[in-house]
Amino acid sequence: MTGLAPIDGLAVLAIVAKAIGYGAALLAMGGVLFCFIFAKHAEASVLRLARQLAVGAAVLGLAVLALRFGIRAARISGMGFEGATDPMMLGFVWDSPLGTTAIWRSVGELAILTILVPRIGQWIALAGCLAVAISFAQVGHALGEPRAALAGLLVLHLLTAAFWVGALAPLRRAAFLPMGADLLHHFGNIAAFGVAVLIAAGLALSWMLSGSLAALFGTAYGVALLAKVMIVSALLGVAALNKARLVPALRTQASGAARSLRRSISLEILAVVLILLTTATITSVTTPPVNL
Amino acid sequence: MIKQTLLGLAVAMAPMLAAAHSVSKATTPANGATVADVPELSMRFDDPMRIISVTLTSPDGDVEIERETGMDPATEFRATPLEVLAPGSYRLDWRGMASDGHPMQGGFSFTVAG
Repeated sequence: MTGLAPIDGLAVLAIVAKAIGYGAALLAMGGVLFCFIFAKHAEASVLRLARQLAVGAAVLGLAVLALRFGIRAARISGMGFEGATDPMMLGFVWDSPLGTTAIWRSVGELAILTILVPRIGQWIALAGCLAVAISFAQVGHALGEPRAALAGLLVLHLLTAAFWVGALAPLRRAAFLPMGADLLHHFGNIAAFGVAVLIAAGLALSWMLSGSLAALFGTAYGVALLAKVMIVSALLGVAALNKARLVPALRTQASGAARSLRRSISLEILAVVLILLTTATITSVTTPPVNL
Repeated sequence: MIKQTLLGLAVAMAPMLAAAHSVSKATTPANGATVADVPELSMRFDDPMRIISVTLTSPDGDVEIERETGMDPATEFRATPLEVLAPGSYRLDWRGMASDGHPMQGGFSFTVAG
């Protein structure tokens, strides 16, 4: 297996922190997008949940960002945890692309907090979403060539993923509300396009970073990417079941439909957690085949 | 749940660790080489690498080395042992950061003939 960096305790910690950071960023962006797109279709309590999630996730994201600086400093220092607070090591991390990312990410996550301010706050939060998505294009594998294409595809991939991930919890709540079926139906129609864009951008990114189909087999990057694709496929299966069966059942007020749908959405959330962990593993300890 | 998943992931990946890649493309002495003496230790990289910590170890413990290359990113790293290396096996391990921000580590081994 080629292209796999050694995994020690700090690397595992880095992967978990990164996955939490991914989740926080997607929820923060997704909560804002949800409020924007479904302002007229969702009930007040559902929109309130989306706003609360966005704000909570943005705060968590900022905390995790600070933590990741410490973990990165510790990893490069060779001193173990002591390196996490070493000013010189933290300076090296600040000078690296992670420093640039941190500026974009923190400005974006702070801007997302303004979702709590009526009217103008929504627009500032929306700009914050874009800043958070752009922050991901400032570091790691996205810095390869062609840079503009990689960055554009990654931003598109993240915004569409955020739209989906951020909607899960509000939709789960909506399943038990009187107007919920219409909201879920409306979401399904938009998500069909969103997911198509999400997958197309993901495939294009994978292709550019892999170089060839053969490179997927026998490299750590490829194996982890295939694992991600498998979990995504399972997630798509669940989503398709929701759209084709469970949401229509909810609309006809079939008995038990709301409970089935909530269980199904919980399953989607679990799949998302696994996808984030796999993605964090890919971006932390594997080398894209084009760079080998 | 996350903990268990991660543990599963770590276990699944364990067999790959042995073959983990090293980004240093050429070293002096060469990896696995047997040499008579070691006037200089060096590593070359494709892209600038910020080497932060370097340790040279022998079965008797750490051996002091003097860095010629500072901590700024460079495609070539050079250092010299502060003492003549006694016959035996040695390993150089390094940690640092690649230009894309990824933490990196690697190492190579060599033997000084008696």
